[in-house]
Amino acid sequence: MHKGASVVKVAIAAEGSDLGASTAHRFGMSPFLVIVDLDTGEFEAVTSPDAGKRGAGMQAVVLALSKDVKAVLTGYCSPTARSHLTANGIDVFTGVTGTVGEAFEKYKRGDFQRSLESEPHAPGDGTEPKPVSFTRALRNSLRQFATLFPVMVSVVLLVGLLNAFVSRSLLASILSGNAALDTLWGACFGSILAGNPINSYIIGGQLLEQGISLFAVTALMVTWVTVGVVQLPAEMAALGKRFALLRNAICFVAALPISVVTVAIFNLLAR
Amino acid sequence: MISGRPQKAKSPKPLWGTLLFPVSVLVIYGILFTVFPDRAWLALKGSIAVFLRLLLPLGLVFVVMLAFNLLLKPAQIVRFLGKNAGIKGIILSMAGGIISAGPIYAWYPLLAEVRKKGAGNISITVFLYNRAVKPFLLPVMIAYFGWAYVGTLTFLTMLASIGIGYCLSLLIKENSYR
Repeated sequence: MHKGASVVKVAIAAEGSDLGASTAHRFGMSPFLVIVDLDTGEFEAVTSPDAGKRGAGMQAVVLALSKDVKAVLTGYCSPTARSHLTANGIDVFTGVTGTVGEAFEKYKRGDFQRSLESEPHAPGDGTEPKPVSFTRALRNSLRQFATLFPVMVSVVLLVGLLNAFVSRSLLASILSGNAALDTLWGACFGSILAGNPINSYIIGGQLLEQGISLFAVTALMVTWVTVGVVQLPAEMAALGKRFALLRNAICFVAALPISVVTVAIFNLLAR
Repeated sequence: MISGRPQKAKSPKPLWGTLLFPVSVLVIYGILFTVFPDRAWLALKGSIAVFLRLLLPLGLVFVVMLAFNLLLKPAQIVRFLGKNAGIKGIILSMAGGIISAGPIYAWYPLLAEVRKKGAGNISITVFLYNRAVKPFLLPVMIAYFGWAYVGTLTFLTMLASIGIGYCLSLLIKENSYR
């Protein structure tokens, strides 16, 4: 069962941080994952900052992956978490009860049956996980599209308003035709605006038809995704203030030459 | 969601937040139809024309989205951001950013987690920057701007991501980003 690796570890969903703690019923909701070394019996308890909250299941999967465990022992594991774990070669054993230590000993003795829904696999053993079913992929795609649709239609409606209510001369007065200034304005707008990039393409395309320079439109599209003023607080909270501020600042500055060079190369190619 | 989006990831955006923008636009239209009916009608007709022009590219977007959903899993993308340094790690981070999808704030908790496990600033930066390259949205972009422009911008974006990643890693020492 435990082939190959020099250090074999298992992750046990737990209510506490040691071997005497009770095993947790739900993998994604458990306060701790106790990682036990199969050979030495040494253990460490790791916890997800969002344990018990929405999205914690995926974080628990990431924790298990990052700890290179070979198996997960838990009372219950959701189909989504299970599919991610098994897809990465981690065995999932459900129906586990008692303390963490007891579960570990049972696992060592080979007392557990793998959960029926998640046949594990080893690379090349011919039992790799089946690809996502077409129905599920279709459902996911439809859901994605449905999420994207309301905002995209709203943007198209706004573009219609822009065409009908804002004159070309007004736009021309804001965007002067000076490549440097236009690029800067485009980058500023793109940094403030946020959302799916498809909306930046639609807005950019319409602005181009209104006579706005390609420099400004390119800068708007580049910064739309790479710089996020609106998302900055969330990025600072997750990745650190310094990282988030520097990353956004560098991306903003970089958008200017990228836009100019893109348009210059495009103009050369178009000749 | 496609391959890339962390499913059920914690989202700070409640339903009303998602609908606020569309509802606001409808309210604006309602007001404008009352005050300037002719122009508002012109705006609506213009919007319908834009939308019709987008139908074919959007159809292609859906097909590519479906293909991604069939072939990729979120956990695979998480693995792209491992500790692997060097050119291989950068290429994997680029690939992860390109095929990832969904709102960026859904990715932050996962990125924070993989960073704790050893992913470097270069990997995170390259991943975030390459989110600007969206293969499944290319049909729409090409419909508006053409192949040559889209190809040039895509290439420069990917190239710039490496430079920005290196720049950031020079400015911020690993594990001292707070």
